[in-house]
Order: sequence, then C-alpha cells, then structure tokens
Amino acid sequence: MSHEDHSELLLPFDGPNPSRRSFLHLVGFGLASAAFSGCSRGPVQHAIAALDASPEFVPGRVYWIASTCRACEAGCGVLAKCRDGRPIKLEGTPGHPVSGGGLCPSGQASILSLYDSKRFDGPQRGGERASWEQADRELGAALDGLRRSGGRVRLLTGTINGPSTRAAIARFLDGFRDARHVTYDGLSASALLDAHGRVLGRRILPRLRFELAKTIVSFDADFLSTWISPVEFTAGYTKGRSLEGAAPRMSKHVQLEARTSLTGCRADERVRLAPWETGPALAGLCDLLERRAGGAGRCAGAADVAPQRELLERLAGELWGSSGASLVVAGSDDVDVQVLASYANHLLGNYGTTLDVERPSLQRMGDDRALSELAEELAAGRVDALVVQGVNPAYDLAGRLPIERAKLLVSCAAAPDETSARATWVCPEPHFLEAWDDAEPFAGTFALTQPTVPLLRAGRTLRELLARWSGDAREDRELLRETWRQELFPRQSAEADFDAFFDRALHEGYQRLDGAAEAPGPFRADAIDAAARAQGSVQGPKAGALALIAYPKAGMLDGRNAHNPWLHELPDPVTKITWDNYACLSAATAARLDLEEGDVVRLAPSGGDGGEAALPVHIQRGQHDGVVAVALGYGRAGTDRFTKVGPEWVDARETVAPGGTVGASVAGLAVAAGCVRRFAGSDVTVTATGESVELASTQDYHSLSLPEHLAIDGHEVREVVFSTTFDAWREDPGAGVHRHPVPAGDLWPEDHESDTTWGMTIDLARCTGCSACVLGCQAENNVPVVGRDEVRRHREMSWLRIDRYFQGDDDDLRTLHQPMLCQHCDHAPCEAVCPVLATVHSEGGLNQQVYNRCVGTRYCANTCPYKVRRFNWFDYARPDEMQNHSLNPDVTVRSRGVMEKCSFCVQRIQEARSEAKREGREVRDGDVTPACQQSCPAQAIAFGNLRDPGSRVAELAATPRAYSVLEELNVQPSVRYLTHVHNGRPDSGGGEDHGH
Amino acid sequence: MSLLNAKILVALMLVIGAVVLARSAHVRLPGNHQGYEPRQPIAYSHRLHAGELKIDCRYCHYGAETSRHAGIPSASVCMNCHQTVTAGYDAVLRERERAEKEGRDPTRIVSSELRKLYDALALDEELEPTGEPGTPIEWVRVHNMPDFVYFDHRVHVARDIACETCHGPVQGMERIRQVPTLSMGWCIDCHRSQPATPGGPVEKHASIDCATCHF
Repeated sequence: MSHEDHSELLLPFDGPNPSRRSFLHLVGFGLASAAFSGCSRGPVQHAIAALDASPEFVPGRVYWIASTCRACEAGCGVLAKCRDGRPIKLEGTPGHPVSGGGLCPSGQASILSLYDSKRFDGPQRGGERASWEQADRELGAALDGLRRSGGRVRLLTGTINGPSTRAAIARFLDGFRDARHVTYDGLSASALLDAHGRVLGRRILPRLRFELAKTIVSFDADFLSTWISPVEFTAGYTKGRSLEGAAPRMSKHVQLEARTSLTGCRADERVRLAPWETGPALAGLCDLLERRAGGAGRCAGAADVAPQRELLERLAGELWGSSGASLVVAGSDDVDVQVLASYANHLLGNYGTTLDVERPSLQRMGDDRALSELAEELAAGRVDALVVQGVNPAYDLAGRLPIERAKLLVSCAAAPDETSARATWVCPEPHFLEAWDDAEPFAGTFALTQPTVPLLRAGRTLRELLARWSGDAREDRELLRETWRQELFPRQSAEADFDAFFDRALHEGYQRLDGAAEAPGPFRADAIDAAARAQGSVQGPKAGALALIAYPKAGMLDGRNAHNPWLHELPDPVTKITWDNYACLSAATAARLDLEEGDVVRLAPSGGDGGEAALPVHIQRGQHDGVVAVALGYGRAGTDRFTKVGPEWVDARETVAPGGTVGASVAGLAVAAGCVRRFAGSDVTVTATGESVELASTQDYHSLSLPEHLAIDGHEVREVVFSTTFDAWREDPGAGVHRHPVPAGDLWPEDHESDTTWGMTIDLARCTGCSACVLGCQAENNVPVVGRDEVRRHREMSWLRIDRYFQGDDDDLRTLHQPMLCQHCDHAPCEAVCPVLATVHSEGGLNQQVYNRCVGTRYCANTCPYKVRRFNWFDYARPDEMQNHSLNPDVTVRSRGVMEKCSFCVQRIQEARSEAKREGREVRDGDVTPACQQSCPAQAIAFGNLRDPGSRVAELAATPRAYSVLEELNVQPSVRYLTHVHNGRPDSGGGEDHGH
Repeated sequence: MSLLNAKILVALMLVIGAVVLARSAHVRLPGNHQGYEPRQPIAYSHRLHAGELKIDCRYCHYGAETSRHAGIPSASVCMNCHQTVTAGYDAVLRERERAEKEGRDPTRIVSSELRKLYDALALDEELEPTGEPGTPIEWVRVHNMPDFVYFDHRVHVARDIACETCHGPVQGMERIRQVPTLSMGWCIDCHRSQPATPGGPVEKHASIDCATCHF
C-alpha cells in the first residue's frame, strides 16, 4: 500500500485533526489483526522421506565410519560421525597406532572443507568447465603422443605413502621413456631425511618415540604443534610425563629455539638460541658427548666455541645419564645440523630405542634437492607434461619453480589455487571424506581412508586418474583393493580370505603387517666431519638485518587450510592472534627499531632478490633479538572470499579488503633461486612503513585478573594457574596449590538430592595448549565464525578458549596454558542474576542455558567470574551456505540476541542417557565424552559423574593436585584443574601475569 | 467519508472479528497447531492400516525404537506390501468376478492413490522400473516441534509410552490430525505425573530439566 492510500484510510476517522481516541481505535485494530495473524499457521513444512532406504539407515541415528585423516601427511585415525547420509564431525580413533585417539585442529576443521562450495565440480580446461570424457580423450591422446615420442613427463606431488597410489604411479611412469616422480613437502623434513641418507646410507625418517625418552633436547623443533606428526608426538610426550599409576615419571624437556613456539612454551627449560647458533651448539653438544664416550673426537674443540657452553655441559650430562632413553631433535632445514643431531643420538645409543629406524616413519618423503633439478629442466623447457598433485608449487615456492614452462600442465587441486590458475587442465581430486585412499604412516602399518558420503563434487583421485591414463578404467575402489590383494594380503596369515582381511582393515581403519623389518646399516661416523667443519664458518645476519624464521602455524600449516574460516579464527596458541600473520619481534628489537604492536613493516631480502612482504608487528615474549618470525601459509589467492565473513551492519569493517588476501606470504623470502628453501635464517631487513593496524587478538580480554581499584584487600592478585616441580610434587602431592579459605555457611542449601553431578577435570600437566579442543568444540556445537572485525570488538564466540599466561623474562620464559570454559558452578552467579530464568541449574549439576527463554540482558555475562559466556550480537549466517551441512543437527543454531556458553556437550549426555534407557541400564562411566575431551591428543580432560566414586573424574578430582579456579569466590565450579607439574627449576608459582 | 461511515466501518470490523472468534473453538496460543489436519499428497489412511489391518506403528515408523525420530517411512517400505496389494480388496474382488463371468484372466487393478506411489517410484503399469529417476513424496508434516526442542522417541518407546498418548487415536483417523497441543506445559504435565523408573514413586518423576529437551 502506498503512502497516499494510507492517508485515505486515516482521514475518514476524524478529518484533518485526528483525536487521541480515534488513534487508539486504529492502534487497537492493528494490534488485533497482528494477534490474529500470529495465530495463523506457519508455513507448511514437508517431510520428505527417501524413496529407497536400507533398514540399517535410520533417520536421525548416528553411525560411524572408520577412516584415516588426510588433512596432513601424518595419517591419524578418524571416526567420521555420520547422520542422515553425511558426515558431520570427525573424531580421533581411540587406540590408533599413529594418533592414539586425538585429532588436531586441522583434522577437526577438514569437515568444513568437504562442504566448501568453491571446490571444482569436474575438470577444467583453460579455466572453462569440461567433462571427464573430454579430459580422458584429450589428455589421453596427449599422453599417448608423449609415450610414442619419448617426451618427458614429470609428476610433482607431496608425500605419497599409500601402496595403491604408489603402485598406480609406478605403472603410469613405466609407460614413458623419460618419466619421473618428484616429491616435496609444503612442510619439509627433507634435511632430516638427507641427514640419514648420509649417516645411515638410507634416506629414512626415523620414527620418534617420545614416550620412551627420559631426556628430550629439541633445537627449534615444534613437535607438539606442527612438526611432522604432532598428535602422535603429543600423545607420546604426555605418556612419558604421566603422574598417574604406581610409577609416576616425567621426562626432562629442554628447548633451544629462536622464536617462541608452542613446544618451547611447554618445555621444562627454554633457552633462546639464534638459528645460526643451532649448528655450533649441536656440534658443541656432540663434542661434549664424545668426550664422555671417549670416542674419536670428530667434533673436538666445538664445545669451546659453542654458544651456551654451560647449558650444553649440563645437557650433555643429563643426556648421557639417560643414554638409550633420550632424544635430540632439530627442526632445522640444514642437512649439516640434522647430521649433527643424528650423531648426538648415535653417541647416546638412541637408535633402536627412541628412534625407530627398522620400521621408520613414512610421514614425510619429500626431497628438496630434486626440486632444483626439476626447476632447471622446466626453465630449459625440457618438460613436456607436468602433473601436480597434493602441493601448490606456485604458492609454496613463490614462483621459483617455473611450472608454466611445462608444455602441458595438469593440476589436481580440489579447489582453485595458485597452481591450478596456471594449469592447462585441472583434474580435481575429491576430499578425503568422499574417496578411497590408503597410507603407510610407518613401515608395516597400513591405514585406509574410505568414503563417508557420495562424491559431492565430480573429482577423481590421482590413483584413478593415472590408471585411466594408463588405459585401466576400473573403479577407484577396485584399484585400491587390487593392491591390497596383491601386496598386503600375502604378508599376513591371520585371515585366509581376502574379503575378510579387507573388511577387518576397513572396520579398524588400519592394519599392522609384520613385514621384514630392515635393519639399518652401520653408522657412518665419517659423515660427521664435514658437518662439524661447516659449523665453523656459520655466520649470523649481516649488520642491520634480521634472520627470518618462516614457521608453520597450528591449523594453517603451509597454507593448505587458507580457505577454512574455522582455522583463520582459531587463535594462535602462543600469540592468541586470529585472521592474520604478522612479524614477531622481541621487545628489545622492536624498541631498537622504534616499532610498536600493529605497526606495519616491510620485510625485504637483504641483498638478494625475492619477494617482499608487508606485515604488522607483533611483539612476542621469549623471542630471540636477532630474528623476525612470520607464519607461513598466509596471503593465499582467493582468500578475499572472507571479505564479508561476519555480520553485516552499519559499523562493520571487512575482514579482508576486496581483492586482498588474509595475511601476506613470506614464501618469496624463504625460497631462494633454484628452489632452495630456507625456513630459518634468511637475512631480511625490516623497515617501518608508517602505517599501523589493529591485530585481532583474543589475549587481553576475558581476563580473569581484577583492576586494582576494584580489588578487595588481599585479593588483588588472582592466582588461577598453579604450577610446581616434579620433585616438589613427589614430596607433597598438593604442592603448588594455594588453597583459599572458603566462607562458611551456604546461602543456597541443596534443595534436591541427585545421584549425578557432571564434572570435568583438566590436567594442566598434560595440556599443551594445542587448541584441538577449541576446534572440536566449534565443530560439535555449531559455534559461528564472526570475522576479524568482530574479534577485535571482543565478540568471538568460542565456548572454550585457551588462556595463556607468561611468567618470567625473555631469557627464562615460562608459559602456562589453561583451557577455560563454563565451570558449571554449583553456586552459579549467572543463575542468580537472570531476570527470566534463562540460565538455571539442572538436577545433574549442569548450568543450563535456555536459548528460547533468553532475552539478552547480558547480566549473566557481566557477573561470570570466568568470562566464558558469549552473546550473539547478530545472526551469524555462514557465507557459504553449503557449509551448513556440517552443522550438528543435535545442537540449536542460536539466533541474534541470546546468550550461549559451554553446555558440557549436553546433547551427548542426553544421547548417552537415551541409549542407556533404551538398553534398560544406567549411564556408565565413559559413556559421555564431550567433544573437547575426545579431541585431546594429550588426554588432559576427563569427564563424568563426580558423585560416582568409581568414575575416573571423581578419582582425579580427589587427588591433591585438584583445585578450582578462583576458589575464594565459593561459586563451587564443577571443573577442577590439576596443577601444572614440570621438570624445570622451581618457580614462584601462580600465574596472574596475563602477558603480551 | 463522513463520521457515520467510519462508525459503520468500525462496527463491521467488530462483527467480522466476532465471527472469526466464534468459528475457532477457542483462542489458541501462537505456535499451537492443535487440530491441524492437512491434506496429504497421497490419501493414506491410518484408520485402514493401523486400525483395521492392525499393522504395528513401528513397522513403518521403525526409527521410533532406536532413534530420536520415528521417521516417515521410505517408499520402499510401502512396497513391501504394495508390491502385491495394488488396490482395495473390493475392487479386486469385483474384477475377479467380472473376469470369471467374461471367461478371462483378471487384470491388475491399480487404485488411483497407489498409482501416485508407483509414479513416485517411477514404476510402470506392470510395476517394473521405467528407468526414470523417482521423485520422493512430499508428505506434509503434522507433528512439528520448534527447532530448539529435541524430542526423543526412543526413550518414550523404551518406557512403553503408547504412541496414542501424543499422537491421539491414530487408528481412527482417515487423515492424520494433531490432537494434543504439543505445548511445553503439556509435555511437563506428563513428565511430572510419570515416575522416573517404571513402577517407582511419582515424586521422583521424569526429568523436567530444561536441558532434557532444550540444548
């Protein structure tokens, strides 16, 4: 109705001067009609059942599919939780030989990538959609031509350790006169492999057994967060530091590093060591160990010129004391440094115990040297066809590998990336959740990946693609089964029938086969001389330059996850910054360069050529003064898709400038000519640009500390993290805990009896801060992504955050991580202030948040001492609607104006109760596993009924280590923390300092 | 328009309002769909199947025992019987008599409603697949809870709560109708009067925690 129409209706009532009475008439009529329309029925809802469904398929009933995660090369076991025909959540497979039951943030988030609508649907030819028939015809003809003419074919992939794909590759390459398979890894371990090539004569990656190590010395290896197989290493590491059972033990972990890594944060002792000092220090360590061994003295004299001489003396003593049960690891990409690290392990007799070389790891197989050769061939125009799969050389190698010089470039990228943009043909591969695959993470351990959903996008695996090009048109599953039948089935004797063998492998997700273990050759000590000599000439950065450290960040890794919004919004476990990469500088260096947090600087190669990058500065505690550390994996093409992520409102600012990228790539600074990658140690100059930005950090809000002017006498310092040493703990199991007098009497006497109080314990001695729980919670509970701007406004929505506390100065930094979530207080302050009873206590001791009652006063969030409540300022719709398929149907999607917070995964509690009732029994301990507990690689979280004396959680909550955060408030939380116990020097205890 | 006209207009509105009020038996709260009895794409009769033929509810709604949802049966479940039963018994009998009289084999009689089922499954006259893709049947949902309510069938079935308690006398319904209000108060009334354990004291009643249904 137009405006004029309205006035006509209004006018007849009272002419030109409407009276109050007639106005009320009209309002009343309006209200009445509104009420009537309110009574009318909502839109008709349809229930559309499948035409044909198998009786096993029950709508709404969860089923699990065992598979193997391919989010990185580690090969952790996953159980895909499926409902109504599609996967909705990934969980770690309990007892898996690789992961042991946890799943890292990347693995958790890979479910979102499955539903990425930007994935290619079928092949592309020159950027145009094409059909598979067309691809088969044209590419088949082109390759046939090369077979006849003897053209050069190169296959460039990441690590491929699956027997079936390796078989397909071998068959494919066989057909050409000059064909080669080149492998490199985005996150390279090439130097470590090369070093073993030199010292053992076999280019292998030893399987590291952290659980057997009593002393661990790590030179810049971030093994708890991103290095090679972090979930496996975390599980092993925490197993070696178990305070439970009859024989508690705790390994000693010393980290020498230049940047502040998560692993460094966990170390019992952390020492700042520049990247150029790593080699000399290792040579010094080898020298000291040689003296103890009374050996040849290949590193003689190195200790005298080594940095950190005193520390090295002490380390050598401790390592020697645990010979055969110690581990020296280095994250360096310098082969000489890795040779020295393996020499140290050899001197300590660790080969065969903590380093398994008989059944080595196959989790990284890349060979960086082969890249240089390929680069030469490509530059000379000698490559006729280049097939790229699993890696993104155009981004990783910053254009140093001239892939466009190949006469035919085929990319297997699943979604548009820098390489596919240059490719003649794109033959997309499927997501690992919709395809068959296999892997061999350790020699003799075979893992299977199986589809959990029919292909959502028309993709083909590399195996199927290569088989087609070799004239084999069998289905992908048949190709894989063929390899298993031919190669693996004969290696076992447990099953006589192949189908039974294969089905068992499918059911478990993996198979261990006893093959002949290959004994390593003798250690070639003569390989050490050159490596030791090389350390004499190592130099630091030139004057005025800093050494660049390009490190992988948890979740983002080498950039493969740059299109995953969950991982962009996951705060870095150390810096707590989201949605960006940044140049980390120590406070002293920043002061010297007159830079402040957020100042944009330009990083340029010192003297050489290569890419530049403009990045904001982050001042990082504990970092070496001579380095600038920047995360890899940012600045990926197409990340401007996140421009509009987050709510749209009048004051909203974009997450990314249109046409821009999230963060900036530093690959150009880390890759030199000839594709030589140097992740640590390239000289760069840092110059201010004069601009400044606000980083989206989650660190300095949700702070549990109290402003001084508000504190009661004696309560200014709120101790929330307690820490003690292993020795002190052995004398007094309650050491380190500062108990607070709790006021006597109770305002709220218990008004009902219940046999259940759900509770949780979090063991700070186990927690590494890896953030797997944060992502697990996000996937389980439909926690939305809010975008960079909203994070800046302190409105991020995660129900579970990891608080990080720094203690000490840069030279002796101690870091503590504390997962913080709703404490489900028995005397919850939030419940007392809610005017509409939207947050109330359940009989099971849960602090329930009732969305349909909440009117959004936010009183509860203000009164919560733990700052764990999150308010929906907007409807956080997902920009990519297809990703709604990953929403958990068992959890309400919250709308604007309501409060939310951790529910202890009440949907899982209800599920367990329903199942127990259906089976006519009580809920048992272990029936309920919240998402955070499930994903934890360190098994730091226990959950269950605190009133059941036999439950694990009750047992742990009764230990002297257990304490409640902010106990003095007497809110009686249901979450108990167990003190952080470390093996370092005694500290003052208490973790009030929120730090920067 | 004069003042008189305006008064007539208001009076007319009041009359219309009164008529509307009188037509609905009582004023319902927003969201209460009690009595909702929509027409379905196929005139499926619960009276015939559940009442007359006494087919167990859980034969078709088999999810009720193991899942949160009882489920609308897939068309393949219908075909378990309707592969053979293609029309009402009367029609088949009549055809048989007529065929006997005319001295020929009786032809297959397909009722118009079942034809819709076969069409959905893309089956031809002989009930053989035509090879075309089928089109799932879009039933109209009658018992519908808001998105923030999580009702779990399997617990109620395990506790031997009869289907009729919530779904009304389905055995007598030609077309499915929502009988109770399905409001929260209605749920809670029942939870308060039911013991937590079968045969236990009503004082320890079924849970009325918010998080029993809302999470």
